[in-house]
Amino acid sequence: MGTTIDISYWGLCIGMLLLLVPVYYFHRFRTGLVKATLTGALRMMIQLFLIGMYLKYLFLWDNAWVNFLWVLIMVFVATETALSRTRLKRSILMLPIIVGFLASAILVGLYFLGIVLKLDNIFGAQYMIPIFGILMGNMLSSNVIALNTFYTDLMREQQLYYYLLGNGATRHEATAPFVREAIIKAFSPAIANMAVMGLVALPGTMIGQILGGSSPNVAIKYQMMIIVITVTASILSLMITLRLSFSKTFDAYGCIRKVFKE
Amino acid sequence: MLQIEGLEIRFGQTTLFRDINLHAKRGELICLTGQSGCGKTTLLKAIMGLVTPYKGSIAVDNILLTPGSAPIIRLKTAWMPQGLSLPMDRVKEMVRLPFDLKANKEAAFSEEELLCHLEELGLEREIMDKRIHEISGGQRQRILLAITAMQDKPLMIIDEPTSALDQESSRRVLQFVQHQASRGKTVVAVSHDATFMKGCKRVITLGHTPDRTKEEHIYLG
Repeated sequence: MGTTIDISYWGLCIGMLLLLVPVYYFHRFRTGLVKATLTGALRMMIQLFLIGMYLKYLFLWDNAWVNFLWVLIMVFVATETALSRTRLKRSILMLPIIVGFLASAILVGLYFLGIVLKLDNIFGAQYMIPIFGILMGNMLSSNVIALNTFYTDLMREQQLYYYLLGNGATRHEATAPFVREAIIKAFSPAIANMAVMGLVALPGTMIGQILGGSSPNVAIKYQMMIIVITVTASILSLMITLRLSFSKTFDAYGCIRKVFKE
Repeated sequence: MLQIEGLEIRFGQTTLFRDINLHAKRGELICLTGQSGCGKTTLLKAIMGLVTPYKGSIAVDNILLTPGSAPIIRLKTAWMPQGLSLPMDRVKEMVRLPFDLKANKEAAFSEEELLCHLEELGLEREIMDKRIHEISGGQRQRILLAITAMQDKPLMIIDEPTSALDQESSRRVLQFVQHQASRGKTVVAVSHDATFMKGCKRVITLGHTPDRTKEEHIYLG
């Protein structure tokens, strides 16, 4: 297989001109999205260039401790993002989310790197950083949907929770309908996507690997594993986060506390 | 069966009621009444530990309500809240809900028993095949009452069981509840319905301000 063709900065600028097409239509139909699109594109460019620089050094140093520190930074940034997108109180969810993300990423990520790929150095930057990055991104998006669904439904349907509790349910039983709904909402898109993968759309990891010079056969196997580890890590992190957040979500009698910011 | 001593409930700095005392024996049917907002439903919830007491004590079957004992007390209570709307589609799913709980495994769901209760309450068996949005509030109340009774717990706590019913249906509900009490269950109900109140062993009126909280025990039985 060949090597990847680099995109020159001039080529990148010409490529970016394509953004004018969506911007034109956003403007023409007065969607109010023009400013957000331009700001978003600018942020994307700055962030990706900065990450490119960090990654360059991470790969250069290739030190297990530095890589782990980078994972910790990703966990904190993901936690902050989850907290801001869910409007839930920091005191209730910060620690559970951190523990959920970190524990799931380590368990599932190292399982993949150590047992499936059988790497000699599972903490090497080339594999650890992208694998943990993709796990973190997926855990973040599914956790935001699931936590929002769980807490919004719990507050709205308190009557059902208390009805079950008053009729002898354990807290686990009384919260089960809400957990079920949160899981369905957060994971249905991923499951549906899995079923049509390769037919309707070619997934990002696979395309990236093929562009990077891998054979389609290798790319397919990686893609399958990426889907499996992201779904597994996402559900695991959600379960850990919910389990740990319950002690602050409910008081000693099982009554619901205020969980959303004022 | 139920002992409440010097109970005070507060929400933040606001006292809802204070110094509530109530003793109920096995097989007694007690009605709580009083103006809206005086704390009747809150008192019912407090018995199950669904509202945290500020002062005083609650004991069910000689078990003092504490955070640790609340789950044990809830094994002895069957609760019918007011205006409960469950996120189910069909009546058949709604009636099974409490019986899926580990606590109610011994009182296995029996459709025959349910149909028998529904008949006592003036409902036809066809109601089981309906969707929840197709039945009226009064029908839903009676179905919930039937499944509350079917749990066969020693303490039945029912909130406004007749608020959406005509007089004839209220009378049937009263008879049904009296029958449950005659089987040794203690029933604590909240109601404003005169027909229902008249059939209760004791009616307790809660005052409308915390300072004027008092209990008027009217022994009618």
